[in-house]
Amino acid sequence: MTRSHAVQAVLLIAALALPAWAGPYWVHVGAIAWYYALLASSWALLAGYAGQFSFAHVAFAALGGYASALLSLHFGIPPGIGVVAGIVLAMVAGALIGWLVLRLTGPYLALFTLALSEIFRLMLVAEQQLTRGSLGLQVPGWFGGESDRPYYYFGLSLLVAALLLMAGLLRTRVGLFLRAIRDDEGAARAAGVNTTLYKILVFVVTSGLAGLAGTYYGPFVGILTPSMVILPEMGLVIAMAVIGGIESLPGAAVGAVIVYGLSELTREYGQWRFVLLGLALILVQRFAQNGIFAVLERPLLRPPAVEAERGRG
Amino acid sequence: MDEAEFFAADGLSKHFGGIIAVDGLSISLSRGELVGLIGPNGSGKTTTINMVAGALRPDEGTIRLRGVTMTGSPAHVFARGGVARTFQVPRLFRRMTVLENLIVPALSNPAARRAEAERRAGEVLSFLRLEHLTRSLARALSGGQQKLLELGRALMLRPSLLLLDEPFAGVHPQLLAQIMEHIGSLNAGGHTIIVVDHNIDAIRSLVRRTVVMAQGRKIADGPSEDVLRDPAVIRAYTGARDAH
Repeated sequence: MTRSHAVQAVLLIAALALPAWAGPYWVHVGAIAWYYALLASSWALLAGYAGQFSFAHVAFAALGGYASALLSLHFGIPPGIGVVAGIVLAMVAGALIGWLVLRLTGPYLALFTLALSEIFRLMLVAEQQLTRGSLGLQVPGWFGGESDRPYYYFGLSLLVAALLLMAGLLRTRVGLFLRAIRDDEGAARAAGVNTTLYKILVFVVTSGLAGLAGTYYGPFVGILTPSMVILPEMGLVIAMAVIGGIESLPGAAVGAVIVYGLSELTREYGQWRFVLLGLALILVQRFAQNGIFAVLERPLLRPPAVEAERGRG
Repeated sequence: MDEAEFFAADGLSKHFGGIIAVDGLSISLSRGELVGLIGPNGSGKTTTINMVAGALRPDEGTIRLRGVTMTGSPAHVFARGGVARTFQVPRLFRRMTVLENLIVPALSNPAARRAEAERRAGEVLSFLRLEHLTRSLARALSGGQQKLLELGRALMLRPSLLLLDEPFAGVHPQLLAQIMEHIGSLNAGGHTIIVVDHNIDAIRSLVRRTVVMAQGRKIADGPSEDVLRDPAVIRAYTGARDAH
């Protein structure tokens, strides 16, 4: 067992125990934090592991959320089927965008996906008859009662399942190929890797998980608005992943919980809390480039696979 | 299949806008041949290698390996078909370990298993005398070690045709000798190899057959000693340098 596993186990136990001692407010905050943790960790897979720096991730969350809600509201489809449909739609859109951006890298990919995200946001605003535009789409809840605990535990379950799914994927040859593509796509092709297939695959998987996050968020908050697709929301998800550790799935999730928790703790400071967030980002980049979680997860029992001795030549 | 045409590129041309990088190049290799491809800067050597490896699609011409037409296929199909390459400047998976760099090409074959890939990687590392660096990150290696690792990554594809793009460029003389020794023993083991380089002395001592390119065209092809004495080849090297 590595220190990383021990840290993850402790964090999971703490998360499970939180509702027993924290008040309803923090249970509510925690339930929203799971939404961001799902987004940050799946974006870490897309950007940190596969090197696809997309700005459309929150758009996939909105797509999943809106699709699921609209199917329930307009066609009376049961929520479970609506969730599946929302996820599938996000995956199909992810495949399409993954195909569209095959030849784009770096800032070109970022700008292209940012433009797509903005187009989608404007469509949500413009299609008032369907989405109620900026007023927001009322979404019926899944669980009865006043307590947020069912959402808290459901959201935590989704996050754990998503992390296990992504970790499982990374343990296969797919994970190896994604990292190879990130490091040098041309060299990966020369090594026999079908980069087209795996780039589209990672967009499909991460878009599906973002869609899942959206389908969870709507019923919990009770309303979906186009503001969930604005650039600062995407910036927040990126900051969460970077602060936690962009090359660590649990790290990105922890980053989301820390950033969202701190933003709630500092709510009384208004806009200044975003200045604090910026400072935190700068400090992490300066002193812990691999994120806060990497500091904790250095293996205890295994030697690190890093900078080794230089030989001849 | 005609053994004289184990590999054949016929009438390859590549234009970049108004610039003709390669103009009607034809070259064929028999199985187990070791060929040097030389030429001044801008003569089209690397563009040729990129086309032969599937990284660039030729505007005209065909590429056949073991009788199978490969023209127009993506690079990963060339790689899985047995065409492996190295780059002028090593292009490793820098944030991955030496072992991971090696097993990527092996696992690109869907039928391959990880244990077998790691065993094969161990053999390649032993051949290249890099086994002490198995768990090092690729970015931590010296320039020479990176060249060797890239060669190893190419070997993990069990290539039918090995394309080495400037393997001697910028390496320490001691490492140069080691790389030459590796290339020689790979060829002795049956590998068909094309070596692109500017180091005329190394090419002369390593290969029996040399192909020379200038301005996108093949200007000489034959036994190395004859080719390197060819006045057209000497002129191609701007006349400022005597190829002898």
